[in-house]
Amino acid sequence: MANKLFFRSALISTILSYLLIFVGGLVRVSGSGLGCPDWPKCFGRWVPPTSIEQIPAHIDPTAFNIVLAWIEYGNRMLGVIVGFSIIIMTVIAVLYFRNNSKILYSALWSLFLVGANGGLGAIVVSSVLNPFIVSLHMILALFLVSVLSYGTIESYKLINLNKFSNILLSKKISISLIALWGLIVIEILLGTGIRTNIELIAIDNPLYSKGQLLDALNSYKYLHSVLGFSLLFLSIYLCYLFRDDFLGLSKQLIYFIFGMILLQIFLGELMIFFELPQLTRLFHTWGSSWLVGIIIILYNTLQYEQS
Amino acid sequence: MSSLNKKLILAFLFIFMLGSFGFYIIDKATKSRIDNIGIIGKVPSFSLTNFDGTVVTEKQLNDKISIISFIFTQCEGACPIMSENISTLQERFASSGDIQFLSITTDPDYDTLDILNEYSSNYSNKNNWFFLRGDILDVIELSEKGFFLSAALLPAGHSTRLVLVDKELNIRKYYEGTVESNIFELQSDIVTLLNQG
Repeated sequence: MANKLFFRSALISTILSYLLIFVGGLVRVSGSGLGCPDWPKCFGRWVPPTSIEQIPAHIDPTAFNIVLAWIEYGNRMLGVIVGFSIIIMTVIAVLYFRNNSKILYSALWSLFLVGANGGLGAIVVSSVLNPFIVSLHMILALFLVSVLSYGTIESYKLINLNKFSNILLSKKISISLIALWGLIVIEILLGTGIRTNIELIAIDNPLYSKGQLLDALNSYKYLHSVLGFSLLFLSIYLCYLFRDDFLGLSKQLIYFIFGMILLQIFLGELMIFFELPQLTRLFHTWGSSWLVGIIIILYNTLQYEQS
Repeated sequence: MSSLNKKLILAFLFIFMLGSFGFYIIDKATKSRIDNIGIIGKVPSFSLTNFDGTVVTEKQLNDKISIISFIFTQCEGACPIMSENISTLQERFASSGDIQFLSITTDPDYDTLDILNEYSSNYSNKNNWFFLRGDILDVIELSEKGFFLSAALLPAGHSTRLVLVDKELNIRKYYEGTVESNIFELQSDIVTLLNQG
Protein backbone atom coordinates (compact mmCIF):
# COMPACT_ATOMS: atom_id res chain seq x y z
CA MET A 1 0.00 0.00 0.00
CA ALA A 2 2.68 2.48 1.05
CA ASN A 3 4.82 1.22 -1.83
CA LYS A 4 2.14 2.00 -4.35
CA LEU A 5 1.44 5.37 -2.75
CA PHE A 6 5.07 6.42 -2.92
CA PHE A 7 5.48 5.13 -6.47
CA ARG A 8 2.49 7.13 -7.63
CA SER A 9 3.62 10.34 -5.99
CA ALA A 10 7.18 9.88 -7.30
CA LEU A 11 5.88 9.21 -10.82
CA ILE A 12 3.66 12.29 -10.72
CA SER A 13 6.55 14.42 -9.41
CA THR A 14 8.81 13.14 -12.19
CA ILE A 15 6.31 13.78 -14.97
CA LEU A 16 5.51 17.24 -13.62
CA SER A 17 9.23 18.03 -13.36
CA TYR A 18 9.73 17.08 -16.99
CA LEU A 19 6.86 19.37 -17.94
CA LEU A 20 8.49 22.06 -15.83
CA ILE A 21 11.75 21.69 -17.77
CA PHE A 22 9.74 22.07 -20.98
CA VAL A 23 8.03 25.22 -19.72
CA GLY A 24 11.32 26.58 -18.35
CA GLY A 25 12.89 26.01 -21.77
CA LEU A 26 9.94 27.82 -23.31
CA VAL A 27 10.65 30.81 -21.06
CA ARG A 28 14.26 30.85 -22.24
CA VAL A 29 13.65 30.47 -25.98
CA SER A 30 10.78 32.96 -26.04
CA GLY A 31 12.88 35.46 -24.08
CA SER A 32 10.30 35.83 -21.31
CA GLY A 33 12.69 35.53 -18.37
CA LEU A 34 12.22 39.16 -17.39
CA GLY A 35 8.45 39.02 -17.92
CA CYS A 36 8.15 39.63 -14.18
CA PRO A 37 10.84 42.06 -12.98
CA ASP A 38 10.36 41.05 -9.31
CA TRP A 39 10.33 37.72 -7.49
CA PRO A 40 8.35 35.82 -6.23
CA LYS A 41 5.53 38.23 -7.04
CA CYS A 42 4.95 39.61 -10.51
CA PHE A 43 4.81 43.42 -10.61
CA GLY A 44 4.02 43.33 -6.90
CA ARG A 45 1.03 41.01 -7.35
CA TRP A 46 0.42 37.32 -6.67
CA VAL A 47 -1.68 37.23 -9.81
CA PRO A 48 0.19 38.97 -12.65
CA PRO A 49 -1.43 42.19 -13.87
CA THR A 50 -3.63 42.00 -16.95
CA SER A 51 -3.50 45.72 -17.66
CA ILE A 52 -0.96 48.46 -17.06
CA GLU A 53 -3.29 50.21 -14.54
CA GLN A 54 -2.86 47.32 -12.10
CA ILE A 55 0.86 47.92 -11.66
CA PRO A 56 1.60 49.53 -8.28
CA ALA A 57 3.14 53.00 -8.31
CA HIS A 58 6.53 51.99 -6.91
CA ILE A 59 7.23 49.55 -9.77
CA ASP A 60 8.35 50.91 -13.11
CA PRO A 61 5.86 49.74 -15.76
CA THR A 62 8.35 50.12 -18.64
CA ALA A 63 9.00 46.43 -18.98
CA PHE A 64 5.37 45.38 -18.70
CA ASN A 65 4.35 42.94 -21.40
CA ILE A 66 1.32 40.90 -20.45
CA VAL A 67 2.28 37.92 -22.64
CA LEU A 68 5.83 37.63 -21.33
CA ALA A 69 4.64 38.16 -17.74
CA TRP A 70 2.22 35.23 -17.96
CA ILE A 71 4.76 32.94 -19.66
CA GLU A 72 7.28 33.61 -16.88
CA TYR A 73 4.61 33.28 -14.21
CA GLY A 74 3.42 30.01 -15.73
CA ASN A 75 6.91 28.61 -15.10
CA ARG A 76 6.80 29.80 -11.49
CA MET A 77 3.31 28.41 -10.87
CA LEU A 78 4.22 25.02 -12.30
CA GLY A 79 7.36 25.17 -10.14
CA VAL A 80 5.17 25.64 -7.06
CA ILE A 81 3.00 22.69 -8.10
CA VAL A 82 6.12 20.53 -8.52
CA GLY A 83 7.27 21.73 -5.10
CA PHE A 84 4.03 20.63 -3.44
CA SER A 85 4.10 17.33 -5.26
CA ILE A 86 7.62 16.66 -3.96
CA ILE A 87 6.65 17.72 -0.44
CA ILE A 88 3.86 15.12 -0.49
CA MET A 89 6.31 12.53 -1.80
CA THR A 90 8.78 13.38 0.97
CA VAL A 91 6.10 13.15 3.65
CA ILE A 92 5.21 9.66 2.42
CA ALA A 93 8.89 8.70 2.40
CA VAL A 94 9.46 9.97 5.94
CA LEU A 95 6.32 8.25 7.23
CA TYR A 96 6.75 4.84 5.62
CA PHE A 97 10.30 4.48 4.29
CA ARG A 98 12.57 5.54 7.15
CA ASN A 99 14.33 2.20 6.79
CA ASN A 100 14.68 2.31 3.01
CA SER A 101 17.56 4.69 2.46
CA LYS A 102 17.21 4.63 -1.37
CA ILE A 103 13.64 5.90 -1.20
CA LEU A 104 14.15 8.23 1.76
CA TYR A 105 17.25 9.93 0.37
CA SER A 106 15.89 10.28 -3.14
CA ALA A 107 12.86 12.07 -1.67
CA LEU A 108 14.93 14.30 0.60
CA TRP A 109 17.37 15.16 -2.21
CA SER A 110 14.55 16.06 -4.59
CA LEU A 111 13.03 18.28 -1.91
CA PHE A 112 16.37 20.03 -1.45
CA LEU A 113 16.95 20.38 -5.20
CA VAL A 114 13.50 21.74 -5.98
CA GLY A 115 13.83 24.30 -3.17
CA ALA A 116 17.33 25.31 -4.21
CA ASN A 117 16.28 25.69 -7.83
CA GLY A 118 13.29 27.79 -6.85
CA GLY A 119 15.65 30.10 -4.95
CA LEU A 120 18.02 30.15 -7.91
CA GLY A 121 15.06 31.31 -9.99
CA ALA A 122 15.04 34.50 -7.91
CA ILE A 123 18.73 35.03 -8.70
CA VAL A 124 18.06 34.40 -12.40
CA VAL A 125 15.67 37.37 -12.36
CA SER A 126 17.84 39.65 -10.20
CA SER A 127 20.91 38.91 -12.34
CA VAL A 128 19.02 40.23 -15.40
CA LEU A 129 19.23 36.75 -16.98
CA ASN A 130 22.95 36.20 -16.62
CA PRO A 131 23.48 33.29 -19.07
CA PHE A 132 25.64 31.37 -16.56
CA ILE A 133 22.97 31.48 -13.89
CA VAL A 134 20.22 30.62 -16.39
CA SER A 135 22.24 27.54 -17.42
CA LEU A 136 22.87 26.58 -13.80
CA HIS A 137 19.10 26.79 -13.25
CA MET A 138 18.67 24.24 -16.07
CA ILE A 139 21.45 21.96 -14.80
CA LEU A 140 19.93 21.84 -11.30
CA ALA A 141 16.64 20.84 -12.95
CA LEU A 142 18.47 17.97 -14.67
CA PHE A 143 19.79 16.82 -11.30
CA LEU A 144 16.25 17.00 -9.95
CA VAL A 145 14.77 14.78 -12.66
CA SER A 146 17.70 12.38 -12.27
CA VAL A 147 17.01 11.93 -8.56
CA LEU A 148 13.26 11.74 -9.16
CA SER A 149 13.72 9.12 -11.89
CA TYR A 150 15.85 7.12 -9.48
CA GLY A 151 13.21 7.33 -6.74
CA THR A 152 10.49 6.36 -9.20
CA ILE A 153 12.25 3.26 -10.53
CA GLU A 154 13.31 2.16 -7.04
CA SER A 155 9.72 2.29 -5.83
CA TYR A 156 8.48 0.65 -9.04
CA LYS A 157 10.76 -2.27 -8.25
CA LEU A 158 9.13 -2.63 -4.82
CA ILE A 159 5.71 -3.22 -6.36
CA ASN A 160 6.81 -5.21 -9.42
CA LEU A 161 9.26 -7.68 -7.95
CA ASN A 162 8.39 -10.43 -10.42
CA LYS A 163 9.21 -8.35 -13.49
CA PHE A 164 12.86 -8.04 -12.56
CA SER A 165 13.80 -11.60 -11.67
CA ASN A 166 16.26 -14.05 -13.30
CA ILE A 167 18.15 -11.57 -15.44
CA LEU A 168 21.90 -11.21 -15.26
CA LEU A 169 23.79 -7.97 -15.67
CA SER A 170 27.20 -8.25 -17.27
CA LYS A 171 30.06 -6.00 -16.38
CA LYS A 172 30.27 -4.91 -20.01
CA ILE A 173 26.73 -3.56 -19.95
CA SER A 174 27.18 -1.91 -16.60
CA ILE A 175 30.33 -0.06 -17.68
CA SER A 176 28.85 0.88 -21.06
CA LEU A 177 25.73 2.31 -19.44
CA ILE A 178 27.67 4.28 -16.84
CA ALA A 179 29.91 5.62 -19.61
CA LEU A 180 26.88 6.55 -21.69
CA TRP A 181 25.33 8.46 -18.80
CA GLY A 182 28.58 10.23 -17.91
CA LEU A 183 29.27 11.18 -21.52
CA ILE A 184 25.73 12.49 -21.92
CA VAL A 185 26.20 14.69 -18.87
CA ILE A 186 29.44 16.01 -20.43
CA GLU A 187 27.62 16.46 -23.73
CA ILE A 188 24.90 18.46 -21.97
CA LEU A 189 27.52 20.64 -20.25
CA LEU A 190 29.15 21.27 -23.64
CA GLY A 191 25.76 22.11 -25.16
CA THR A 192 24.96 24.41 -22.25
CA GLY A 193 28.37 26.03 -22.70
CA ILE A 194 27.59 26.68 -26.36
CA ARG A 195 24.22 28.21 -25.49
CA THR A 196 25.74 30.32 -22.69
CA ASN A 197 28.44 31.64 -25.00
CA ILE A 198 26.00 32.36 -27.81
CA GLU A 199 23.89 34.41 -25.41
CA LEU A 200 26.92 36.25 -24.01
CA ILE A 201 28.13 37.06 -27.53
CA ALA A 202 24.61 38.10 -28.57
CA ILE A 203 24.34 40.56 -25.67
CA ASP A 204 27.49 42.35 -26.80
CA ASN A 205 26.68 41.97 -30.50
CA PRO A 206 22.92 42.35 -30.89
CA LEU A 207 23.24 42.70 -34.66
CA TYR A 208 25.00 39.36 -35.26
CA SER A 209 23.25 36.87 -37.52
CA LYS A 210 23.02 33.19 -36.57
CA GLY A 211 25.99 32.43 -38.80
CA GLN A 212 28.12 35.13 -37.21
CA LEU A 213 27.21 33.92 -33.73
CA LEU A 214 28.26 30.39 -34.63
CA ASP A 215 31.50 31.66 -36.16
CA ALA A 216 32.30 33.60 -33.00
CA LEU A 217 32.12 30.44 -30.89
CA ASN A 218 35.22 28.58 -29.83
CA SER A 219 36.16 25.42 -31.66
CA TYR A 220 34.69 23.28 -28.90
CA LYS A 221 31.35 23.59 -30.67
CA TYR A 222 32.72 20.79 -32.91
CA LEU A 223 33.42 18.72 -29.82
CA HIS A 224 29.67 18.76 -29.13
CA SER A 225 28.98 17.25 -32.58
CA VAL A 226 31.82 14.72 -32.36
CA LEU A 227 30.74 13.55 -28.91
CA GLY A 228 27.15 13.40 -30.13
CA PHE A 229 28.09 10.91 -32.84
CA SER A 230 30.24 8.92 -30.39
CA LEU A 231 27.18 8.63 -28.15
CA LEU A 232 25.21 7.30 -31.09
CA PHE A 233 27.78 4.54 -31.67
CA LEU A 234 27.89 3.71 -27.98
CA SER A 235 24.11 3.35 -27.93
CA ILE A 236 24.26 1.10 -31.02
CA TYR A 237 26.78 -1.06 -29.19
CA LEU A 238 24.44 -1.22 -26.19
CA CYS A 239 21.52 -2.21 -28.43
CA TYR A 240 23.75 -5.04 -29.62
CA LEU A 241 24.56 -6.11 -26.06
CA PHE A 242 20.86 -6.15 -25.21
CA ARG A 243 19.98 -8.10 -28.36
CA ASP A 244 18.52 -11.26 -26.82
CA ASP A 245 18.93 -12.08 -23.16
CA PHE A 246 16.78 -9.41 -21.60
CA LEU A 247 13.14 -8.87 -20.85
CA GLY A 248 11.06 -6.47 -22.88
CA LEU A 249 11.36 -3.42 -20.66
CA SER A 250 15.15 -3.09 -20.76
CA LYS A 251 15.22 -3.71 -24.48
CA GLN A 252 12.54 -1.12 -25.13
CA LEU A 253 14.44 1.38 -23.02
CA ILE A 254 17.75 0.95 -24.85
CA TYR A 255 16.03 1.24 -28.25
CA PHE A 256 14.34 4.35 -26.94
CA ILE A 257 17.72 5.77 -25.88
CA PHE A 258 19.16 5.03 -29.31
CA GLY A 259 16.20 6.75 -30.96
CA MET A 260 16.49 9.78 -28.69
CA ILE A 261 20.20 10.22 -29.45
CA LEU A 262 19.46 9.99 -33.18
CA LEU A 263 16.69 12.56 -32.79
CA GLN A 264 18.98 14.84 -30.77
CA ILE A 265 21.62 14.79 -33.52
CA PHE A 266 18.92 15.52 -36.08
CA LEU A 267 17.59 18.47 -34.02
CA GLY A 268 21.11 19.78 -33.46
CA GLU A 269 21.87 19.81 -37.19
CA LEU A 270 18.46 21.35 -37.87
CA MET A 271 19.35 24.25 -35.56
CA ILE A 272 22.58 24.93 -37.43
CA PHE A 273 21.34 24.61 -40.98
CA PHE A 274 17.69 25.63 -40.90
CA GLU A 275 15.36 28.17 -39.39
CA LEU A 276 12.69 27.68 -36.71
CA PRO A 277 15.54 27.71 -34.20
CA GLN A 278 13.48 28.42 -31.08
CA LEU A 279 11.17 25.40 -31.18
CA THR A 280 14.06 23.14 -32.21
CA ARG A 281 16.18 24.46 -29.33
CA LEU A 282 13.32 23.79 -26.94
CA PHE A 283 13.02 20.14 -27.96
CA HIS A 284 16.79 19.67 -28.13
CA THR A 285 17.11 20.78 -24.51
CA TRP A 286 14.09 18.81 -23.41
CA GLY A 287 15.32 15.68 -25.17
CA SER A 288 18.61 15.83 -23.28
CA SER A 289 16.73 15.83 -19.97
CA TRP A 290 14.82 12.75 -21.11
CA LEU A 291 18.05 10.89 -21.86
CA VAL A 292 19.51 11.62 -18.44
CA GLY A 293 16.43 10.23 -16.69
CA ILE A 294 15.83 7.22 -18.95
CA ILE A 295 19.42 5.93 -18.60
CA ILE A 296 19.10 6.13 -14.81
CA ILE A 297 15.86 4.17 -14.99
CA LEU A 298 17.39 1.55 -17.29
CA TYR A 299 20.50 1.17 -15.16
CA ASN A 300 18.52 0.71 -11.99
CA THR A 301 16.28 -1.93 -13.47
CA LEU A 302 19.49 -3.80 -14.28
CA GLN A 303 21.18 -3.19 -10.96
CA TYR A 304 18.31 -4.93 -9.29
CA GLU A 305 18.67 -7.82 -11.65
CA GLN A 306 22.28 -8.27 -10.63
CA SER A 307 21.68 -8.69 -6.91
CA MET B 1 -3.86 -2.89 -32.14
CA SER B 2 -1.40 -3.86 -29.43
CA SER B 3 -1.25 -1.83 -26.26
CA LEU B 4 2.32 -0.76 -27.03
CA ASN B 5 1.26 0.74 -30.35
CA LYS B 6 -1.59 2.54 -28.65
CA LYS B 7 0.78 3.99 -26.09
CA LEU B 8 3.20 5.08 -28.81
CA ILE B 9 0.44 6.85 -30.72
CA LEU B 10 -0.70 8.57 -27.53
CA ALA B 11 2.88 9.63 -26.78
CA PHE B 12 3.33 11.08 -30.27
CA LEU B 13 0.02 12.92 -29.97
CA PHE B 14 1.11 14.34 -26.64
CA ILE B 15 4.49 15.48 -28.00
CA PHE B 16 2.76 16.98 -31.03
CA MET B 17 0.39 18.90 -28.76
CA LEU B 18 3.27 20.15 -26.62
CA GLY B 19 5.11 21.23 -29.78
CA SER B 20 2.07 23.11 -31.05
CA PHE B 21 1.66 24.73 -27.66
CA GLY B 22 5.34 25.76 -27.67
CA PHE B 23 5.05 27.13 -31.19
CA TYR B 24 1.96 29.12 -30.26
CA ILE B 25 3.60 30.59 -27.15
CA ILE B 26 6.83 31.52 -28.97
CA ASP B 27 4.82 33.16 -31.75
CA LYS B 28 2.68 35.04 -29.24
CA ALA B 29 5.78 36.26 -27.38
CA THR B 30 7.38 37.50 -30.61
CA LYS B 31 4.21 39.39 -31.62
CA SER B 32 3.80 40.85 -28.15
CA ARG B 33 7.22 42.49 -28.44
CA ILE B 34 6.04 44.42 -31.49
CA ASP B 35 2.70 45.31 -29.88
CA ASN B 36 4.51 46.46 -26.77
CA ILE B 37 6.30 49.28 -28.56
CA GLY B 38 3.20 50.96 -29.89
CA ILE B 39 3.22 54.59 -30.97
CA ILE B 40 2.94 56.99 -28.01
CA GLY B 41 3.26 60.33 -29.77
CA LYS B 42 5.12 62.34 -32.38
CA VAL B 43 8.37 64.23 -31.86
CA PRO B 44 7.63 67.99 -32.35
CA SER B 45 9.85 70.28 -34.36
CA PHE B 46 12.93 71.59 -32.54
CA SER B 47 16.17 73.34 -33.31
CA LEU B 48 19.26 72.76 -31.15
CA THR B 49 23.00 73.10 -31.60
CA ASN B 50 25.34 70.12 -31.60
CA PHE B 51 28.70 70.30 -29.78
CA ASP B 52 30.46 70.75 -33.11
CA GLY B 53 28.40 73.84 -33.87
CA THR B 54 26.02 72.33 -36.41
CA VAL B 55 22.30 72.93 -36.05
CA VAL B 56 20.24 69.81 -35.43
CA THR B 57 16.48 69.79 -36.04
CA GLU B 58 13.81 67.12 -35.93
CA LYS B 59 14.71 66.36 -39.57
CA GLN B 60 17.84 64.63 -38.24
CA LEU B 61 15.52 61.94 -36.84
CA ASN B 62 14.20 60.97 -40.27
CA ASP B 63 15.04 57.39 -41.28
CA LYS B 64 16.99 56.70 -38.09
CA ILE B 65 16.12 54.94 -34.87
CA SER B 66 16.94 57.50 -32.18
CA ILE B 67 17.55 57.18 -28.44
CA ILE B 68 17.00 60.53 -26.78
CA SER B 69 18.02 61.57 -23.28
CA PHE B 70 18.24 64.67 -21.09
CA ILE B 71 21.49 65.18 -19.15
CA PHE B 72 23.91 67.88 -17.97
CA THR B 73 27.65 67.60 -17.62
CA GLN B 74 27.98 68.64 -13.96
CA CYS B 75 25.41 66.03 -12.89
CA GLU B 76 26.99 63.47 -10.60
CA GLY B 77 24.16 61.08 -9.89
CA ALA B 78 22.23 59.57 -12.73
CA CYS B 79 23.84 61.15 -15.82
CA PRO B 80 27.19 59.34 -15.73
CA ILE B 81 25.34 56.01 -15.45
CA MET B 82 22.95 56.99 -18.25
CA SER B 83 25.79 58.12 -20.50
CA GLU B 84 27.77 54.99 -19.71
CA ASN B 85 24.75 52.85 -20.67
CA ILE B 86 24.20 54.82 -23.89
CA SER B 87 27.91 54.44 -24.63
CA THR B 88 27.55 50.65 -24.29
CA LEU B 89 24.58 50.68 -26.67
CA GLN B 90 26.52 52.85 -29.13
CA GLU B 91 29.32 50.32 -29.11
CA ARG B 92 27.02 47.31 -29.48
CA PHE B 93 25.15 48.82 -32.43
CA ALA B 94 28.26 50.39 -33.98
CA SER B 95 27.96 48.39 -37.19
CA SER B 96 24.48 49.74 -37.93
CA GLY B 97 24.07 53.04 -39.73
CA ASP B 98 20.40 53.20 -38.72
CA ILE B 99 20.83 54.15 -35.07
CA GLN B 100 21.70 57.45 -33.44
CA PHE B 101 21.74 59.00 -29.98
CA LEU B 102 20.75 62.49 -28.85
CA SER B 103 21.61 63.87 -25.41
CA ILE B 104 20.14 67.28 -24.64
CA THR B 105 21.65 69.37 -21.84
CA THR B 106 19.35 70.81 -19.22
CA ASP B 107 22.05 73.25 -18.12
CA PRO B 108 22.86 75.29 -21.25
CA ASP B 109 24.28 78.14 -19.13
CA TYR B 110 27.20 76.03 -17.97
CA ASP B 111 27.31 73.48 -20.80
CA THR B 112 28.88 75.47 -23.61
CA LEU B 113 29.71 73.77 -26.88
CA ASP B 114 33.29 73.32 -25.67
CA ILE B 115 32.22 71.59 -22.49
CA LEU B 116 29.77 69.39 -24.40
CA ASN B 117 32.57 68.56 -26.81
CA GLU B 118 34.78 67.45 -23.94
CA TYR B 119 31.92 65.48 -22.34
CA SER B 120 31.25 63.80 -25.67
CA SER B 121 34.83 62.61 -25.99
CA ASN B 122 34.48 60.88 -22.61
CA TYR B 123 31.63 58.66 -23.75
CA SER B 124 31.15 58.69 -27.49
CA ASN B 125 33.26 56.71 -29.94
CA LYS B 126 31.31 57.36 -33.12
CA ASN B 127 29.78 60.39 -34.78
CA ASN B 128 26.20 59.13 -34.31
CA TRP B 129 25.82 60.64 -30.84
CA PHE B 130 24.76 64.29 -30.70
CA PHE B 131 25.21 66.38 -27.57
CA LEU B 132 22.82 69.27 -27.97
CA ARG B 133 22.18 72.60 -26.31
CA GLY B 134 19.61 75.31 -26.84
CA ASP B 135 17.62 77.96 -25.03
CA ILE B 136 16.58 76.62 -21.61
CA LEU B 137 12.92 77.51 -22.24
CA ASP B 138 12.99 75.55 -25.50
CA VAL B 139 14.55 72.59 -23.73
CA ILE B 140 11.88 72.64 -21.01
CA GLU B 141 9.12 72.80 -23.60
CA LEU B 142 10.67 70.00 -25.64
CA SER B 143 11.01 67.81 -22.55
CA GLU B 144 7.56 68.44 -21.11
CA LYS B 145 5.38 68.92 -24.17
CA GLY B 146 7.42 67.07 -26.78
CA PHE B 147 8.49 63.99 -24.86
CA PHE B 148 6.05 64.13 -21.90
CA LEU B 149 8.99 64.09 -19.47
CA SER B 150 9.05 66.24 -16.33
CA ALA B 151 11.51 69.12 -16.36
CA ALA B 152 10.97 70.86 -13.03
CA LEU B 153 13.85 72.40 -11.04
CA LEU B 154 16.41 72.16 -13.83
CA PRO B 155 19.15 71.26 -14.31
CA ALA B 156 19.01 68.48 -11.68
CA GLY B 157 15.29 67.81 -12.06
CA HIS B 158 15.56 66.38 -15.56
CA SER B 159 14.05 62.99 -16.29
CA THR B 160 16.41 60.01 -16.27
CA ARG B 161 14.42 58.18 -18.92
CA LEU B 162 15.60 57.30 -22.37
CA VAL B 163 13.17 57.78 -25.23
CA LEU B 164 13.02 55.37 -28.17
CA VAL B 165 11.97 57.12 -31.39
CA ASP B 166 11.40 55.24 -34.65
CA LYS B 167 12.34 56.20 -38.22
CA GLU B 168 9.04 58.07 -38.71
CA LEU B 169 9.62 60.28 -35.63
CA ASN B 170 7.13 58.33 -33.52
CA ILE B 171 7.85 58.06 -29.80
CA ARG B 172 7.70 54.30 -29.13
CA LYS B 173 8.73 53.66 -25.53
CA TYR B 174 10.50 54.98 -22.41
CA TYR B 175 13.27 53.27 -20.42
CA GLU B 176 14.79 54.10 -17.06
CA GLY B 177 18.31 55.06 -18.14
CA THR B 178 19.96 53.88 -14.93
CA VAL B 179 18.33 50.44 -14.65
CA GLU B 180 20.18 47.53 -16.22
CA SER B 181 17.07 45.48 -16.99
CA ASN B 182 15.56 48.49 -18.79
CA ILE B 183 18.67 48.86 -20.94
CA PHE B 184 18.40 45.13 -21.72
CA GLU B 185 14.80 45.74 -22.79
CA LEU B 186 15.77 48.76 -24.88
CA GLN B 187 18.43 46.74 -26.66
CA SER B 188 15.98 44.01 -27.67
CA ASP B 189 13.39 46.63 -28.71
CA ILE B 190 15.97 48.29 -30.98
CA VAL B 191 16.59 44.90 -32.59
CA THR B 192 12.82 44.41 -33.00
CA LEU B 193 12.50 47.82 -34.70
CA LEU B 194 15.50 47.12 -36.93
CA ASN B 195 14.05 43.77 -38.01
CA GLN B 196 10.80 45.50 -38.91
CA GLY B 197 12.76 47.65 -41.36
